[in-house]
Amino acid sequence: MFDRQTPQLSSSDAELIALTAAGNHRAFELLVERHASAVLRLTTMMTGNSASGEDALQQAFLSAFRHASSFRAEASVRTWLLTIARHTAYRLRAKQAREAPFEEPLMKLGLDAGWGSDNPESLAMAAERDEILHHALRTLSSDDQEVLVLRDIEGLTGAEAAQILEINERALKSRLHRARLRLAVALRATLGSERGEREGGPQ
Amino acid sequence: MKERTVAGMRCSEVLALLSEYVEGELDVAAAERIEGHLLGCPNCERFGASFGSMVVALRREAETSEPVRVEAMERLLTQLRKASGER
Repeated sequence: MFDRQTPQLSSSDAELIALTAAGNHRAFELLVERHASAVLRLTTMMTGNSASGEDALQQAFLSAFRHASSFRAEASVRTWLLTIARHTAYRLRAKQAREAPFEEPLMKLGLDAGWGSDNPESLAMAAERDEILHHALRTLSSDDQEVLVLRDIEGLTGAEAAQILEINERALKSRLHRARLRLAVALRATLGSERGEREGGPQ
Repeated sequence: MKERTVAGMRCSEVLALLSEYVEGELDVAAAERIEGHLLGCPNCERFGASFGSMVVALRREAETSEPVRVEAMERLLTQLRKASGER
């Protein structure tokens, strides 16, 4: 197919997007070369990692290519592309958040659970008391509760628990460990609030 | 409170392996490295001991929890009998 107009390196963004809308692939490639870095910086920042940033980059430019004819000159092409990139990265980030909930750093979880505190032993003391253990368990997410019940309370093997939860054993180990640490956090919080009530309550 | 490197392991590495360590799931070399760290790191040693006790306490939960109430069990059995009679 013969292009009605050959895109030039000197062509403006507006000219290139107009050519793209008319079906000129090469014009869009020039736009990609011009703006890919800026789009990637935004998408990487928004998605939190370079792999997802690149995915968003791909999707954003594909979307822009398909909708080139909807470009309106009231914004610059660069602004238009970054707007599309932002929406794409936002959708990708939301999808990732649904599929893999944010995991707080293990060390932070450990600190909240009493690692390095003056009295890490309070964790064991709290767990020994049924009412505190039950209360702490109730405050956990259902994901944490189910892995603790299956693996620790019911004593299922890792393989059995993984089968019920429909995850692999490696994922089960990770989920169990984090659930235990979050239980430790909850036990300390429950013990702390009980002490607070006792000290702050009527004598 | 900052983590340290003791016996070639950082505290965060020990923390990450604590569940597998208390379960006895690590290979001998990894378990020995953790033990070396615990010997020289009071923070990890104290927290690890308490964490292990918490897991033991959880395991006892199944033994100490209350059985299903008699009424609930009877209701279930009644429903089961009724369901089997309808088949």
